[in-house]
Amino acid sequence: MSGNGLAPETRARLIQACVRIVGPDGVVSCPEEVRVYDCDALTFFRGLPPDVVVLPTSTQQVAELSRLCYELGIPFLPRGAGTGLSGGATPAAGGLMVALTRMTRILELDLVNRMATVEAGCVNLALTRAVERHGLFYAPDPASQAACTIGGNVAENAGGPHCLKYGVTTNHVLGATVVLPGGEVLRLGGKVSEAPGYDLLGVFTGAEGTLGICTEVTVRLTPQPEAVKTILAVFRSVEEASSAVSGVIARGIIPVAMELLDRETVKAVEAHARAGYPLDAGAVLLIELDGPRAEVETEAVEVEAVCRAQGCLEVRVARTEEERALLWKGRKEAAGAFGRIAHHYYLQDAVVPRTKLPQVLREIEEVGARYGIKIANVAHAGDGNLHPMICVDPDVPGCEARALEAGSEIMRRCIEAGGTVTGEHGVGLEKREYLRMMYAPADLSIMQRVRGVFDPAGLCNPGKIFPHPGEAGAVAAG
Amino acid sequence: MSLGTDLGQALRALFGAEGLLTGGATEAYRIGRNRPEAALRPADEAALSRVLAIAWAGGLAVVPWGGGSHQSIGNPPERYDLALDLTRLDRLVAHDPGDLTATAQAGIRLADLARRLAEHGQFLPLDVPLPERATLGGALATRLSGPLRCRYGTARDLVLGLRVAHADGTISKAGARVVKNATGYDVTKLYLGSHGTLGIILEATFRLYPRPEVERGWWLRAPDLATVQALANRVLGSHLVPSRVELMEGGAAQACGLGGNGLLVCVSGLPEAVAGQRADLERMAGACGLRLAEIPDGPPVWKAVSDFPWGGAGMAHAGLEALWRGGVLPADCAKAVQAIQAALPQRVQAAVAATVSHGALRGAFRAETAGALVQGLNAAREALVGLGGYLVVQRLPDAARNGLDVWGRPPDGLGVMRRLKAAFDPKGILNPGRFVGGL
Repeated sequence: MSGNGLAPETRARLIQACVRIVGPDGVVSCPEEVRVYDCDALTFFRGLPPDVVVLPTSTQQVAELSRLCYELGIPFLPRGAGTGLSGGATPAAGGLMVALTRMTRILELDLVNRMATVEAGCVNLALTRAVERHGLFYAPDPASQAACTIGGNVAENAGGPHCLKYGVTTNHVLGATVVLPGGEVLRLGGKVSEAPGYDLLGVFTGAEGTLGICTEVTVRLTPQPEAVKTILAVFRSVEEASSAVSGVIARGIIPVAMELLDRETVKAVEAHARAGYPLDAGAVLLIELDGPRAEVETEAVEVEAVCRAQGCLEVRVARTEEERALLWKGRKEAAGAFGRIAHHYYLQDAVVPRTKLPQVLREIEEVGARYGIKIANVAHAGDGNLHPMICVDPDVPGCEARALEAGSEIMRRCIEAGGTVTGEHGVGLEKREYLRMMYAPADLSIMQRVRGVFDPAGLCNPGKIFPHPGEAGAVAAG
Repeated sequence: MSLGTDLGQALRALFGAEGLLTGGATEAYRIGRNRPEAALRPADEAALSRVLAIAWAGGLAVVPWGGGSHQSIGNPPERYDLALDLTRLDRLVAHDPGDLTATAQAGIRLADLARRLAEHGQFLPLDVPLPERATLGGALATRLSGPLRCRYGTARDLVLGLRVAHADGTISKAGARVVKNATGYDVTKLYLGSHGTLGIILEATFRLYPRPEVERGWWLRAPDLATVQALANRVLGSHLVPSRVELMEGGAAQACGLGGNGLLVCVSGLPEAVAGQRADLERMAGACGLRLAEIPDGPPVWKAVSDFPWGGAGMAHAGLEALWRGGVLPADCAKAVQAIQAALPQRVQAAVAATVSHGALRGAFRAETAGALVQGLNAAREALVGLGGYLVVQRLPDAARNGLDVWGRPPDGLGVMRRLKAAFDPKGILNPGRFVGGL
């Protein structure tokens, strides 16, 4: 069944109004079809399906839809490609889902100023494809970049392996057209930087679609580096590999990416993608340097020396673009590879100070042993951003509950180590309760004030981010 | 509201008679024609929080004060009861070299902070003007930046977390101490550049960078600004990773010990890499008909450039001065300077520099009379607005205050900003009226 108790007549009015605003081909309301929209890529948490899904084609239409929801008192939420990993685009309260996937145009490429303006539904990789022949690229590269939308990236402040050097979405967004809850359209920021005023764009970015719906985004484009070097370093243990990470940083080198894969991950990846990682490795580090050729060459020698000093067994440098692509293939398909060794897995996201990586990774191993659950680790190690993959077998009674408990304990360890509960996936539905571990009531009340200013009726993507005492929230499903 | 007996007593009880500056002793905290009733220098967060609670209860208007180096920015406060001096909160709270992060209190002078970080070969690439006087908190509250933003970005990119005191004295934190965080709203962004009108920054955690082994810079003097811009576009669109790309017209160049219109380009890093980039830069310059002149004694020049126009170098002049910043598209910097030059009345002298990567202009105007100065600023603002940009006046003589709004046209979203101000500071006691649109 669809919907969350919208009275039939309200639902009918909603559908009718949506059809009037976007036309009949842009409205999805039959129960079987709206079910598809009941979660994002965090399939662990399913919400209540939206009552109606609407696919607008312009900012004006989004504004009318937002006004409509405010008039009828109906909850609504935006959705891009639905690749998010924290339930940000999972409806928590039914209502109207505004899917931006028909707004995919690149509106302007301003090459001399190295900026692009796109509609929110423009796919991340499509932008880089459109500008690469001009020697430019769009730097934030979440793993889902072939599918995820730039509007969704703004909502989640998406990262990616290469943000160690280039920064996350917020560092690349210059402006946005946003529709506030209630329908007001605002242009935040813009191509000219730092006009006076509060940085509304800064707080909107990463607000997980709770402060309004972004319909157009202006981003900075980055010139392609002259040279790229990708290095695979093989270690006996995770401790050695993560010490090498700190060693590289301490040498004053900031690679564009430093990815760590532990033994379990390497095994899964090799069975699936055959990237050529040695199966006997305790851990591997995938290190990429980019920049002016002379700099990359010099730094590569230093990186190798640091790895060797940490007891690295082998260092391989990709000599061709094919070899480089193969090394990355293993990393990029790590999540997919897990499908082979576990029916389900629960992908975590936490950040610790990078010097604490060896300690925290050891603790995660202990947690796994204690709960009798296999936990594999992939990490954007250069940032201290961990992605433990907690394997779940739904056929084993109690396994899911243990997985969630283990996840919670890992979070606690990360916070105790001075870290944070999400580095790039966002809070969404998944981590609302963890927020209290990290922020005191006074800290959260400030965020609530911001929320109240943008969305006084609390109808825009309700049930996300903030811990709600007593609320049932999402239903965990296998 | 003035500082009544009760409130005065409450503050004296906290600070003692000597700790509470009143009367003539508050002269150091003057902003234009306004002087506070009292000034306080709390020794720690707890004392500061109590001061705010007292001010909140009594509706006293509070102006947070750092080094005082850039207090000229903004409207004069609508009300000014207390100056809250943060310079005793000056500790480097934590520095984790392996994590490339540090946490420091707001009152630390930027130059002192830089010295401490340098002990571990690291630095905070926030090269705001006058770092010997300016404090970290002030730099963040005003969100000033300098030429290094070309490579490292601004406070927006560097700050990871903040501790903030609110109007009623409560203290909250925003962000975290790690380099990547997507937990809840990024409220840090709201405080940065809000000129103390939403809360008072007490402490900041920020990203650090390793100090480069070498930094070299070249002055590329050009016959005209269009050529300077053409070279800048080429450099910024290339694989080069310059640390500074500054377009400077003759007046600004002269103030920094350089001659003529030109482009300053700096490159830093490992010596071999810098040499490689130099060769590429030379090729690009050659294609624009320009030659590289290496700046032999770099650091004093970099400092003069980042201090410009606040440094007062080359100020051998009589009369009045105004300082401003502005913004245009990166590729329009030369056009903007030319438009300003064409629009200025003859009686106004100008010096202008631009951080081309971000289209960030900064300049000084000088004139004999307040009228001429105002006329010049209005003409320059109109020129920049004509290019889709803006101009913010950062310092001007009191005599010229009446003639213009220092902030210019309020931005889109002023309504939301007003509601934010009301939600964060419902009694309007934090720096009232100083920011754009009277926020």
